[in-house]
Amino acid sequence: MTRAAPTTLRPTSAKEVRDAVLDTPGRLAISGAGTARHWAGRPAEADATIDLSALSGVITHNPGDMTVSVHAGTPVRELQEQLAEHGQRLALDAARTDRGATVGGLLATADAGPSALVYGGMRDLVIGTTTVLADGTMVRSGGHVIKNVAGYDMAKLMHGSYGTFGPVVEVVLRLHPVPKAVACVAVDGPLDAAAAHVQRLMASPLEPIAAEWVSGEPGTLLVRLEGGTDTLPARTGRLLELLGDGAREIGPEGWARHAALTGGPSSRPEQARAAVAAAGPAGTSATALAGAGIADPTAVPGPDPAAPAGAAGDPGAVVRIGCAPVRLAPLLAGLPSTAVTAGPATGVATVTVPGSAVAEVHRAVAAAGGTSVLRDRPDTLDAPAWGPAPSALALLKAVKTQLDPEARFAAGRFEPWM
Amino acid sequence: MPLARRVHDEFVALLGAADVIDDPVRARAYECDGLTGSRVVPELVLLPRTADDVAGCVRICARHRVPFVARGAGTGLSGGALPVADGVVIGLNRLNRVLEVDPENRRAVLEPGVTNLEITAAAAAHGLYYAPDPSSQQVCTIGGNVAENSGGAHCLKYGFTTNHVLSMEVVLPDGTQVTLGTDSAEQQGPDLRGVFLGSEGTLGIVTAVTVRLLRTPEVMRTLLADFPSVAAGGQVVSDIVAAGIVPAAVEMMDALAIEAAEGATGAGYSLDTPAALVVELDGTVEECEEQFALVKEICDRHGCTRLHIAGSPEERANIWRGRKAAFAAVGRISPDYIVQDGVVPRTRLAEVLERIEEMSSAAGLRVANVFHAGDGNLHPLVLFSDAEGQTERAEHLSAQIAELCVEMGGSLSGEHGIGTDKACSMPTMFGEDDLAVMDRVRAGFDPDHICNPGKLLPTPRLCGEKPGRYRPHPLEEAGLIERL
Repeated sequence: MTRAAPTTLRPTSAKEVRDAVLDTPGRLAISGAGTARHWAGRPAEADATIDLSALSGVITHNPGDMTVSVHAGTPVRELQEQLAEHGQRLALDAARTDRGATVGGLLATADAGPSALVYGGMRDLVIGTTTVLADGTMVRSGGHVIKNVAGYDMAKLMHGSYGTFGPVVEVVLRLHPVPKAVACVAVDGPLDAAAAHVQRLMASPLEPIAAEWVSGEPGTLLVRLEGGTDTLPARTGRLLELLGDGAREIGPEGWARHAALTGGPSSRPEQARAAVAAAGPAGTSATALAGAGIADPTAVPGPDPAAPAGAAGDPGAVVRIGCAPVRLAPLLAGLPSTAVTAGPATGVATVTVPGSAVAEVHRAVAAAGGTSVLRDRPDTLDAPAWGPAPSALALLKAVKTQLDPEARFAAGRFEPWM
Repeated sequence: MPLARRVHDEFVALLGAADVIDDPVRARAYECDGLTGSRVVPELVLLPRTADDVAGCVRICARHRVPFVARGAGTGLSGGALPVADGVVIGLNRLNRVLEVDPENRRAVLEPGVTNLEITAAAAAHGLYYAPDPSSQQVCTIGGNVAENSGGAHCLKYGFTTNHVLSMEVVLPDGTQVTLGTDSAEQQGPDLRGVFLGSEGTLGIVTAVTVRLLRTPEVMRTLLADFPSVAAGGQVVSDIVAAGIVPAAVEMMDALAIEAAEGATGAGYSLDTPAALVVELDGTVEECEEQFALVKEICDRHGCTRLHIAGSPEERANIWRGRKAAFAAVGRISPDYIVQDGVVPRTRLAEVLERIEEMSSAAGLRVANVFHAGDGNLHPLVLFSDAEGQTERAEHLSAQIAELCVEMGGSLSGEHGIGTDKACSMPTMFGEDDLAVMDRVRAGFDPDHICNPGKLLPTPRLCGEKPGRYRPHPLEEAGLIERL
């Protein structure tokens, strides 16, 4: 183990993580690639940070079983490159994978991309985890088989936990085949029109992998299909017909602006290209943008904390929203957003709003029966990270007390709830 | 010790005397679930009609520290709904309304007593269906599916109950009512819904479930193929997967299972083949046809001796009828049997079957194999005769097979659950620390240990006792349910 800084521990094995937890008194922060450092509640000051970025790499890949176990600090981008050699992938296209986000980080933040419509998020792809608790206990659940109901599904508890129960050190994932062919279709129009398109699309037998609207003048609906090399063109034709006037086929780079709006500060172009090649459409590169062929491709209000969007003088903030799909368009229409990506079929949206409007956004989302969490925002912004507490808050606190009685991990992440 | 009269009176005051069963003869109907070898007659059976009454019952239990066991249709195969001595059973069959079918959001809201098949029936008019399809789907309830995280033949492609439940109204063991999950995939912190799903009734009682509905696929293609060996069939499965195809279902049966199933159903399976494979694809016309052609080619490549393609929905139903009847049909070729539910990594199927055959010969007992070949979920059926004193040997062989699956990097259970049946085998799959932490999570939900105690995790009391042998469930004997 090396000490990168006086208060940062950089373990290179699960055992070293446990030693770090046991040997370091006080509050511990956990970090991976740092791509979601500004998400959710602001971490309280910790006595030490456990940096998991050196806990990286594939442990076992079983191509025939389509499962892989990895160290939690493995960047998904690197994992995808290795899996692609076997025609396999982790069916997750969260935008920030382009910036080096790790398997553990994506699990802890419950992040997902457009293809969650079909493949779900990390909760649906993780089949086993090993976690180190505050008392040094290493707890393993699940296993290497996809079908498994033995014991509690502890991996689910880690999904969206922001590390509050301790660092996840190993993750077992189920894999999917890389599709033989991918097609992307775009049609311009406002969100209402896009939602109507998606309603017809979901009632059709075309089986879209993703359907997302990206704001602009007037905005663009993006639809992705996956299939066989010989068969996909026919289905793409059916999709173009269904979407009608103005629908056109575009390259996978058409998703670049979507990724830029949902994935945080943009990355180096070459990394983005590698990710597009390995994982399908999720690039954020400037070159990809140029070829995007979607409305207003240059106006990308960056949710970068260093270069905030929003009204002049008001730092912008990014809020992730979820609600019942048909409620999404009316909800978004009432928000003071400067940029939006929205899944009319999933009910999930990512919006950039003025920092001063965050509390108002939480209220409006809660009124629509939805949930919201603050993502990237400037360091100086003082805004609530979460909407109203869930009805099961007392239960959440009870489980937290069981697993981390001294509240050593991830303090502040669930402020103001706990 | 019998429940205090005072507690009994509180239940009657809440529900009315008609919905509180205290007659031991009537209570016997609740003495077991599908694991019929274990039986306990409950002290009281409560039959609430509303979520608030469920919460009221649980609050009374919590106040008096009375253990309770939730029960749906009682089709579970691992003893999850086995009553607890000195405790009450809370039957949820009267909460059986489809509360809402929402085609625009593609979801349905159900009370826990709605049967699995009723969900699809309610959604079908909108061209939608509910994907998880445990083979007891005619009678098993969504509440039970939530408790067991039920799968089915089609979970290879579509996932399990946990992948299809958005949110649930839950009564926690202290009687409070909370919502777990949200209206979308976005969560409010850690996924407590995901922990509750598959917790086998040990973390609370679900009183309403919101499930995702999928659009009915454009086409379905089903084939039945015979192979000269189980290994050849297994190679076909590997090649299908390697070709990047995700079938809706891949099922395999060996000669003994085929003999039983065909004898019972006359579904058209070949009696002289060592192995048969059922492969089903679904999706859009273009993809399905292309992949189906590829599957046929792979079958031929591995010496397929007969290939039957379902030419009509009736023929497809027939193939599935034969497959789904396999469990119960084994009763035709053996007086008694025990069903196992282990999982191995798919690539080790041939190896595990070989080992099972060796163990079977060594024990001098026949084992019929029916399994979900696509996901490595085996259902070996250990055949024996209690009358001939083979019970103990059969139980030993059965436990050996389950533990062999764990040894091969798999799991004790793919879909039937741990319950009381496999709780004592949990230490073969999990370490002491793993189990202790699961118990801590349980204590977070249920600090007083009154919610379905003695299930899922091993206890000294349970593991000192010996479970009884498998006997067919009355519903199974009546032909109302089948096992997969």
